[in-house]
Amino acid sequence: MLDLPEQLINFFDYIFFGFAMAAISSYIILAIISAFETVNYMKKNSFVNYTEILSSSISPSISIIAPAYNESLNIVENVRSLLSNHYVNYDVIIINDGSKDDTLEKLITAYDLIKVDYLINNQVATKPLRKGVFKSTNPAFEKLIVVDKENGGKADALNLGLNISTNKYVACIDVDCLLLEDSLQKMIKPFLEATDHKVIAAGGVIRIANSCIIKDGKLLDINFPKNSIVRGQILEYLRAFLLGRMAWSKLNGLLVISGAFGLFDKKIALEVGGYDTKTVGEDMEIIVRMRRHMEEKKVKYRVAYIPDPLCWTEAPDSYKIFISQRNRWTRGTIETLKKHRKIGFNPKYNSLGILSYPYWFLFERLAPILEVLGLFYFTLLIVTNNVVWDYAILFLIVAYLFTVLFSIITIIAEELTYHQYTKRGMGMQLIKTAFTEPILNHPFILYAAIKGNFDYYFNKSIKWGEMTRKGMSNN
Amino acid sequence: MNLSKKIVLADDNSILAKLLQFKLEKEGYQLLIATNGKEAVNLIEDNRPDMILTDIMMPFISGLEVISHVRNKLEMKTPIVVFSAAGQEEMVLSAFNLGATDFMSKPFSPNELIIRIKRLLQ
Amino acid sequence: MLELLQNSVEALNNSHPIIQFCAYLSLLFIVIIITLLVYLKNLRDRLRIKGRIEATYKKKYESELIEYLYADDDKDSRLQQQKIVDYFKKNAENRLKRKLIIATFLKLKNEISGETSDAIQNLYYQTGLINSATSKLKSKKWDAVARAIRELTLFEIKEAHDEIILLINHPKKEVRNEIQKYLVKLFRFDGLKFLDILENPLSEWDQIQLLEILNKFNNLEVPDMNNWMRSNNTSVLSFTLKLARIYNQFGVSDEIIALFNHPNVDIRIEAINVVTHLGIHEAVAILKEDYFTRSLEEQIAFFKMMEEMAMPDDIPFIREHIEHDNFFIRISVMKTLNLITVDDDNTFKVNTTATDFTIDKDFTIAS
Repeated sequence: MLDLPEQLINFFDYIFFGFAMAAISSYIILAIISAFETVNYMKKNSFVNYTEILSSSISPSISIIAPAYNESLNIVENVRSLLSNHYVNYDVIIINDGSKDDTLEKLITAYDLIKVDYLINNQVATKPLRKGVFKSTNPAFEKLIVVDKENGGKADALNLGLNISTNKYVACIDVDCLLLEDSLQKMIKPFLEATDHKVIAAGGVIRIANSCIIKDGKLLDINFPKNSIVRGQILEYLRAFLLGRMAWSKLNGLLVISGAFGLFDKKIALEVGGYDTKTVGEDMEIIVRMRRHMEEKKVKYRVAYIPDPLCWTEAPDSYKIFISQRNRWTRGTIETLKKHRKIGFNPKYNSLGILSYPYWFLFERLAPILEVLGLFYFTLLIVTNNVVWDYAILFLIVAYLFTVLFSIITIIAEELTYHQYTKRGMGMQLIKTAFTEPILNHPFILYAAIKGNFDYYFNKSIKWGEMTRKGMSNN
Repeated sequence: MNLSKKIVLADDNSILAKLLQFKLEKEGYQLLIATNGKEAVNLIEDNRPDMILTDIMMPFISGLEVISHVRNKLEMKTPIVVFSAAGQEEMVLSAFNLGATDFMSKPFSPNELIIRIKRLLQ
Repeated sequence: MLELLQNSVEALNNSHPIIQFCAYLSLLFIVIIITLLVYLKNLRDRLRIKGRIEATYKKKYESELIEYLYADDDKDSRLQQQKIVDYFKKNAENRLKRKLIIATFLKLKNEISGETSDAIQNLYYQTGLINSATSKLKSKKWDAVARAIRELTLFEIKEAHDEIILLINHPKKEVRNEIQKYLVKLFRFDGLKFLDILENPLSEWDQIQLLEILNKFNNLEVPDMNNWMRSNNTSVLSFTLKLARIYNQFGVSDEIIALFNHPNVDIRIEAINVVTHLGIHEAVAILKEDYFTRSLEEQIAFFKMMEEMAMPDDIPFIREHIEHDNFFIRISVMKTLNLITVDDDNTFKVNTTATDFTIDKDFTIAS
């Protein structure tokens, strides 16, 4: 039995304890700020009439850009859903990123498409076109533009979308996202309301659509899924969005808006060179780059955030895909933070450098590593018979209870704001999930994060990973 | 024998639908109501109405698609009247290009609508 | 059992402060969790009841409203109508129901015009709903005030004008904007008089809302815009330019051209765009003269203008820019010279009439 020096044990104890306390405090502070901001937002928008922002000649034009890769199963339905948005002045650009299946053929048939010669301003270099640009002969579908190009990945496809769009704003979305009818109006509002600063991008809330009834591109019924992995994610997303992002938005410290639905000022997105095709975290990376650009230009700006549920999408329901997704997120975070490490703790970059970057570095990037190190340390203590069991168990209990408490506060916040889970019994299920999520989901997130770190440093060949489509119209 | 003419109304505003139903049924027409484009198309296919009234802005299948479907796929010559919110001139133009017969921009006078319907069903 | 408890408490008191802290913290957490769970259940129940009320009453209010509007003209029906008025009046005492009633009225009123619309407005008076709105104007809570103004706007209550105008310099911009919308909705262009003295910026969102409101009216007499065109408030300038464009105000051509030298580049660009839309030919010569001193964005706007308004003597000048670095200028030049035709939906075709230029489909160079 090794007898570790007491000072060493104390030292590590304090490190882990200190880190945990810092993390907990930060969550609490962010939650409080989020709560205030959300109340504020709801007050401001409770009587706003969004329908007036519809008319064509005056409201700004938006391009919805949706990359598609092997989406044959649902592409026709997804596109139809995008075409039925209530905003008037917009178009839908579907980028078929070198799909190997019949995605393009299905679209051509369903929407009466023919190949056209289309003016493209190649401001960002992308992989070339394959079959070309297509438009519909039916005036009912004049908003639709379909582009077939050589495969280049999501970032590359989005960049081609940026080149093709002739509109001022672009909404970059995942093609299988269900956008609610008034989502564009709500998202464009911060851009148009700003008078003394520029809004460069706006992000929204992603709600999980698994088990929800979606028919004909409309969200008919919201259900709480049975799958525990999905349940855990619902709670996780609610925590992050309701009690996290809103605060960051207020502090003007948002480093990421979801890749599933984000609205950008196209000019600025192109100014910074579009999306980075060499990273798997392109949604976070472009925001950081755009922010950095604005800081360097010394122009007052903001990344806005809309807390209303506007976008519903499928979440992974198997551990394998879930881990793969979180692995990718981890690598994306590492890549982005590394690429922009110059801004870290750099007062030249204001809140971006002094608040956002350090927070993300500490609590998003390092946290999983520290947690695992903590586990190793704990194991080591067990092995060397140095564990003070009271400490260990109590610490675990406090951590667990805090997580549960935080989740319950999240659920209450959800009830007080958007109250989407109305059916009987859902409350109970949400609460149950609050108790089980730390045990059922968190370990896998941790594992995925560690694997992500490992893959980043030692396994350069891995890229995006696949997500098997289950279809949005389920029973 | 009931020779009343059948009208399909597609609009997702429930109280407007109720009002039009009341007024039109009073005039002796038979009214079938759909709350979105898909329902409208189904009603049209099943009932072969004498007239179609449709809002342009509806969930999923828009009014424009309804018109396109009726004129091109079903090849029916049924008179179609579209409602649009004010300022959607482009939409209205598209509607006419697709084969709409008449349009009324919201807010519209229900009485005027009745007069137009009567005239078109002459 | 008691012994166990006593032993535990003793052990606790004898242990390290951190242990005590954690133990108490855990206990605190458990207590809070239980309280919150009770609160949560209560909250969901209340919300469910609220949802049910809304669903039931929505249907009821809709049918009552229709019945009221289309009652016949005999004595019995009129009694029935009065009953309905009283019904609404009584229900409106409950805050949730009042919101529903107003929503129902507006849901219909926004879609139709004419006698039925007036009847609904009349009902708004008769049921006393107007009183709850006007009394809220005096509220200390800004969102209540804003909501009240909005309601009065939607029901077009002109009588409230004097009370509302008192609030015109309210500290909260949301309230000020609701007032602006009220003025424009009810008094049309006259309602825009506040532009004369407006110091706060009018955001693009506000501008669009006001323009939308104006758009719904036909046969409006457009007022004199000259002061607004000389305003110190940039957003007022921007708004006026939009008005000039939408309502084809050739009368202010000179003022628009004067804005070509405004310090704010966005205003200059907007002015060029309006001039293009209105087809004001004098502008061409003016802009050609100081073309090289202008920013790239303005030059792009200038060439867009030339697509519509180029005259034969302008052709040599335009031709010089055919290999300009900027994509938009190149395209504009090619369009103006009729080398290509571009449709509204951005599809194009190359016109083979061009003999001395061949165009690379990439539009990088026309050689």
